[in-house]
Amino acid sequence: MPPGIANRVRELRQRGDGMTQQALADAVGVSRQTIIAIENGRYSPSLEVAIKIAEAFHQPVESVFWLAEP
Amino acid sequence: MSSLSFQEKSAWGTLISLLVVGLLYASSLVNLWRADQLHIASTFGLMVGFTILLVLVLVGYHILVAAITGAQDEDERDRLIGWRAGKIGGLVLGFGVISIVGHIVLGGLVDDAFWQTPAVIANLLLLAVFVSTIVELSVTIWFHRRGV
Repeated sequence: MPPGIANRVRELRQRGDGMTQQALADAVGVSRQTIIAIENGRYSPSLEVAIKIAEAFHQPVESVFWLAEP
Repeated sequence: MSSLSFQEKSAWGTLISLLVVGLLYASSLVNLWRADQLHIASTFGLMVGFTILLVLVLVGYHILVAAITGAQDEDERDRLIGWRAGKIGGLVLGFGVISIVGHIVLGGLVDDAFWQTPAVIANLLLLAVFVSTIVELSVTIWFHRRGV
């Protein structure tokens, strides 16, 4: 059941020195498996978690998450 | 590091344990019935015994998983999956219980003594709980694998 939100979390995480999934999970307050599910499009995070992820990458939230094409 | 969350590992272990213990219980029940010993006292003894077995298996499994991979707090995804799977399991349980009520009423209408015995009704109720739990665990695993 794919969510209706697309994201570029993996792309941002792997930029530069690269952040591990566990490091991002710890920064945001979710499990590593949830980060994996977000990156693979199997889960759309809550607004709070989405904002925390965007802040971890110093990006506006709308550049990290957007509505997927139907 | 495992790609399975603690909740998903828990669901897998509980599902497999339930299926195995459930099959053993059903097999014992059939043996009782064949020996014409299927009454409430023997059924109760069987239920207590297998419940203790199941609890021991599940406690042992969860201690092992927690020791190997470390316990994890539930996060928002785990809670969402738990709520949705629980809702579906609840619907199945409700359907099962209503069906058993219907069975009791209809059985009373057709005067079929065997299906009205306390032992049979107790096991039908247990079957409803078993099936709803199997469905809930299966849906939990499905949501973890396919997305929610």
